[in-house]
Amino acid sequence: MDLAAVHTGISDYYTAKIRKFGATPLGVDWTCLPTQELRFVQLLKVCDFTSPLSLNDLGCGYGALLSYLDRRHAGCPIDYVGVDLSQAMLRRARRLWRNRPNASFVHGHAGSRLADYSIASGIFNVQLGQPPDVWEGFIAATLDQLHRTSRHGFSVNFMRAPPAGTPERKGLYSAEPERWARYCAAQFGAATEMLDGYGLREFTLIVRRRSVSI
Amino acid sequence: MGAFMKEDDIYIGTFLDLFNIRFAPTPFSADAMTVYGGIDEMTALQGEFGIFSSKRPFSASAALLGLGGIHKALAKNRWLELLRNLPDNGDQQIADALVANFRKKPPLPCYMRAHDARIKGENRVIIIESDAPLFYLEQKYLTISLPMAPRRQPAKKKAKKK
Repeated sequence: MDLAAVHTGISDYYTAKIRKFGATPLGVDWTCLPTQELRFVQLLKVCDFTSPLSLNDLGCGYGALLSYLDRRHAGCPIDYVGVDLSQAMLRRARRLWRNRPNASFVHGHAGSRLADYSIASGIFNVQLGQPPDVWEGFIAATLDQLHRTSRHGFSVNFMRAPPAGTPERKGLYSAEPERWARYCAAQFGAATEMLDGYGLREFTLIVRRRSVSI
Repeated sequence: MGAFMKEDDIYIGTFLDLFNIRFAPTPFSADAMTVYGGIDEMTALQGEFGIFSSKRPFSASAALLGLGGIHKALAKNRWLELLRNLPDNGDQQIADALVANFRKKPPLPCYMRAHDARIKGENRVIIIESDAPLFYLEQKYLTISLPMAPRRQPAKKKAKKK
C-alpha cells in the first residue's frame, strides 16, 4: 500500500495546526496541557525508568514530551529522538529544545534508529478523510515500524469507539481495544496490555517484546 | 464585573459553558468501559497533576485547562482577569471548593453560573454543595455562582454649544 498520500495529508494537517496555534497543546490538536500530559503518563508506562534509556517519540510535534520527561523523570538519563512528518513542527521543536542535551529531531514517518522504547500519542485519531482500509493500512504499517525500531516495547493510544447507538465523530478514527491488541500479539508475538479508565475517551495499548534478543 | 469584560461581556455565557462542559456529569453509558469525559476526566487530571490546589487560585488552573477558549485572546485575558479580581479572594475560594469536592467519592459535577452583584450582600462568590441548579436534570452539583453586574455605558459627550 502506498502511504505517501496519507503522510502528506498528515504533514499538511499538523503544519496548519502549528502555524495557527504555535508550540502549544492546541498546536498539536490537544485541548489543553493536562490532557496532553495525562496521555504521556499512560504511554510512558511501557518504560522502565530505573536505568538510562533511549526513546523514540513518533509524531513528536514540538517536543512537548521533553518538558514532561524533564519534570517527572529528571533522575533518569534519556536519549530522546523525536520524529515527525511536518517540517514546520520540527522547526519549532528544534528551536524550542536547541539547548537540551540528548534530544534530536528527525523528519519522517518512522523512527530512524533502534531505541529501547517508542511511543506515539494521538497519531491515529485524525483520519483526514482517508477511507477506513487505507487508514487502517497506515496504522498497521506504523505499528510494524514501531515494533521494528523498539528494543523492549512501544505504546500508542487510540480513541475508543463510542457506545453502540452513538454516532462516530466525523473525521476521527476510533477502535475497539481488542482490534489492535490482537494484531500486535499475532503479528509480533508480543505481550500486550491495555490501559483505560483514566477519564479520557481512549485507551493506551502497550506492546512489549517477549524476548530482547534482537 | 462588566468593568473587566468590557465589550467582551457577550462571551461570559460561553466561558461559563466551557467550565460546565468540562465539569459536567460524565455521559452515561451502560458499558463501564466506555465511561469518559466530564467530571471523570477532571477527576483523573486532578488525581494525576493536582491541578486545583489551596496554593493556586482557580484562574491559574482555568488558564491551564483552556477555560478561556481559543478564539479570542483579549476576551480570554479579560475573563481570567475577572476571575483574579473576584471579591473576598473568590478566585481562591473556588479552587478550595473544587479541591474539597475532588476529595469526595465520587466528586460531584460542578456548575458555574452568575448572579446579580448589585443586590445588597451578593457581591461575592456563592458556593453551594449538593445543589440542583438545572431543574431539567436530576443531578446534584457543586454550584459556583460568580457576582456579575452590567458594565456602565460610557457617558455621552455633550454637544458643544455654538
